[in-house]
Amino acid sequence: MNRPDHEDRKGRDVESAFVRQTLLDRNLVRSAEPDDVAPIRLLPWLEVVVLGGSTIVDRGRDVLVPLVEELRGLITGGDHRMLLLTGAGVRARHVLGVGLDLGLPAGALAGLAATEAEQNGRLVASLLAAEGVSYLPHQTVAGQLPVHLAAANAAVSNGYPPYGVHEFPTPSAGRLPVHRTDTGALLLADAFGAQRLVYVRDAATLKGLPEEVSAKELLYRDGNLPIDRLALERLGLARHVRSLTLVDGTTRGGLTGGLDGAGVTVTAD
Amino acid sequence: MSVPTGGSVGLAELADLLSSRSLDDAELALLSDEAPETPVLPDVSVLKIGGQSLMDRGRSAVLPLVEEIVAAKAQHRLLIGTGGGTRARHAYALAAGLGLPTGVLSEIGSAVAGQNATMLGYLLAKHGVPIVEPHAFATLPLQLADSGAAIFPGMPPYGMWQRVPQEGVIPPYRTDAGCYLVAETYACQQIIFVKDEDGLYTANPKNDPSATFIPEITVDELLARELPDLVLERGMLELLRDARHVRSVQVVNGLVPGNLTRALAGEHVGTIISAGGDR
Repeated sequence: MNRPDHEDRKGRDVESAFVRQTLLDRNLVRSAEPDDVAPIRLLPWLEVVVLGGSTIVDRGRDVLVPLVEELRGLITGGDHRMLLLTGAGVRARHVLGVGLDLGLPAGALAGLAATEAEQNGRLVASLLAAEGVSYLPHQTVAGQLPVHLAAANAAVSNGYPPYGVHEFPTPSAGRLPVHRTDTGALLLADAFGAQRLVYVRDAATLKGLPEEVSAKELLYRDGNLPIDRLALERLGLARHVRSLTLVDGTTRGGLTGGLDGAGVTVTAD
Repeated sequence: MSVPTGGSVGLAELADLLSSRSLDDAELALLSDEAPETPVLPDVSVLKIGGQSLMDRGRSAVLPLVEEIVAAKAQHRLLIGTGGGTRARHAYALAAGLGLPTGVLSEIGSAVAGQNATMLGYLLAKHGVPIVEPHAFATLPLQLADSGAAIFPGMPPYGMWQRVPQEGVIPPYRTDAGCYLVAETYACQQIIFVKDEDGLYTANPKNDPSATFIPEITVDELLARELPDLVLERGMLELLRDARHVRSVQVVNGLVPGNLTRALAGEHVGTIISAGGDR
């Protein structure tokens, strides 16, 4: 049925710059997209702070409690409006092991691991509840973060992005989910046009890193990366987030310094 | 430790690497790749019903297709995903003009696929076919067992967490990718994209009369041709290339009566795009 589409289209279309496009022809899409519109930062004052699962939250009283006290100071100080995102830690490693052994696909494992990041978020939010801090599920973050941050200077959510069943098959990752907390935080911070993105880790993770390093340089290195590979790969494509900061959350003042520009800066290029 | 090959990978070995390595570790990835996998819904066929190509045409296109779906579900278990269409395009154009980011476009576009699922749901209601939202996918087995089919909105649930495209702001993973990933994660038998063209052409046949038909092609061949218009989302084709289970897809013309039924039976009636190579 190779024929031009001359039939009557009345009632079928809503007129727009993309009308009748497949949205698959890059040149057509490019010509229809406005080139004189600067992308808006929805929340230009937002600071996104990621608390590592195994490096911070799993270490409980020794590490998390002092860090929460530091956060409490930042929240009551009134100079910051933060979205705190928690990673999954050792329990996610356990559920990934059991899930893999049971033969589950990456799309099932993604949801199971995300549950652990969510539980860590609930723990952190509970510790900061007296300061008006709530745990927000994904959809509340997507739609109602502004009102929560108008009421309190911080809110907590799950670092994992809502990929779940729709996790990507990724040959280099085997059957492990690739869209985890580090990447979820970057995607979300960029969509909001956040001012700053800080990953709170421990001293061992940051050991040997220079004050500034590019994502490319890190990706070329051998050995463990201080942040998930996919987050480093996606940083170059981000529209607003041009760099991210890694800080040592096991040292008092590490996070506060990171929000002030100290710590390890990872640049997009 | 050395990675066992050929044999079955045990929980102890997995736990060992999972507790000591980064989740980006290559050895851990290899081990997770080798661990035996249990297909979730292997006898289910996924259909994607186009938005612009079918739903927007109204009853002349949709009602015959609904009849064919009702007949088919006696023999096949069907998961029916929906596309967006012309309203999604309007919303994308409007939002892009306002300077809004991809994440907002993704949230908004998702609602249009939801409307199409709702409309299809009304038409299939008397045949017992329910709509299942992405957050309720756990009920799919029951719905499929009860009625032989279920409808879902095709957009993936990424929303504000959608990846940004190489350029511009249109969400790169839309309903083709959303439907495809459901088929892939559940290791379904097949996925059929129901559109209003016979399949893939060398150009968009709606605008270019010199376009010629391509019955079969691999993803790499297709991307290497640098065609101006692909019949499926580029991001979805890349996912297909990386797939573990659903290694080919078929695009069929749903305006031709009988095409869907024949494709479900395994006949080649449109364009088959395959991952190519081995996985």
